[in-house]
Amino acid sequence: MHNSASAGPPAKPRVGSSQVSEASLKRKRGVFQKDLQHMMYGFGDDPNPLPETVSLVEDIVVEYITDMVHKAQNIASKRGRLLTEDFLYLVRKDPPKLHRCTELLSMHEELKLARKAFDVNEETLATAD
Amino acid sequence: MKDPFEAAVEEQESPPESPIPPEEDAAAVADAVDGDEEEADARSQPPASAPAGAPAAGGGGKGKEDDDEEEEENMDVEFGKLPSGGDPDKMVKMQAILSQFTEEQMSRYESFRRSGFQKANMRRLLTSITGSQKISIPMTIVVSGIAKMFVGELIETARFVMTERKESGPIRPCHIREAYRRLKLEGKIPKRSVPRLFR
Repeated sequence: MHNSASAGPPAKPRVGSSQVSEASLKRKRGVFQKDLQHMMYGFGDDPNPLPETVSLVEDIVVEYITDMVHKAQNIASKRGRLLTEDFLYLVRKDPPKLHRCTELLSMHEELKLARKAFDVNEETLATAD
Repeated sequence: MKDPFEAAVEEQESPPESPIPPEEDAAAVADAVDGDEEEADARSQPPASAPAGAPAAGGGGKGKEDDDEEEEENMDVEFGKLPSGGDPDKMVKMQAILSQFTEEQMSRYESFRRSGFQKANMRRLLTSITGSQKISIPMTIVVSGIAKMFVGELIETARFVMTERKESGPIRPCHIREAYRRLKLEGKIPKRSVPRLFR
C-alpha cells in the first residue's frame, strides 16, 4: 500500500546545498529576483515590476551570461585558464560596456589599495598603544 | 527643455558604480562609505535654489534601501564620486541635474545606482556554468557589470517598444520578448554555436 506522506512530486530541493553546490544542472528559479526588481525599476520599469516579467528577464540574463561564458571559454581554451581579460575581449566592440568594465576593475584596485593602507594604519596605531 | 532624467541618462558614457562588496571589513568599509555619502549629501544641499524635496527624497530613499544594504554589503551611492571620475566640469553638470530631480526621479536614479547582482549568486552561477572553481573576484565584477548593462538595454528597448505601441503601465513579457528580438537583430546577443535543445 502506498503511504506517501509527501504532498506530490518532490520539488526542486530548496535547501539542498550539498546537491546544488556541485555543478548542478538544476537552476533555482528567482535567484536574482530581488536584485532584478530594483534594477528594472532603476532602468525604467514600474516600481513593482510584474513577476512574470522579472522571471522572463532573469531567464534571458542567465542565458546571456551562459552564452558569454561559453564564448569566453572558447577563446581561453587556446591559452589555458579562463581569465577576466577574455570577457574584456568579448565586449571590445561595445564601447560603453568595455569602458564600464575597465572602470569597475580600476575602482576595485583602488579599493584594495585603500584597504591595505587602512590595515597598515591600524597596525601602527595598535603598536603605538 | 530636456527632461533632466533623460539628460542624466545621456551623460552616462561612464555609467555609475556597481557595488563592489569587499571580502573582509565589510562593515568598516560600508561605514566609511556611508560617512562619505552623508558629507556628499550635505554638500549637495547648499546649491539650495534646488527644492529641498530632492535631497530629502534621497534620504528617504536611503531609508528604504537600508535593509537591502545590510544584506547586500556595499550598495552605497557615492555622490562624492560621481561617474565623471573627478572631472570637475562633468561633476558640476551632474550636480545641477541631480538637484532638479523630482522625488520619483531621485528614487529611480537611486535604484539605478544601487542595484546590482549579488556577488555570491553570480559566483555560484558562474561556477555552475564553467564547472570549475576558479572564479576570481574581478571576473564576477566584470560579468555583473556587463549583465547589468544588458538588463538596461533590454528594459530601455522594451520601454521604447511600449511607446511605439502606445501602451503604458508595467512592462509585460511581450514587450521584453520584442525587445530581445530587436537586440538580437542588432547583434547584441551572443549567438549560440550549438542550438539549445532542452530547457
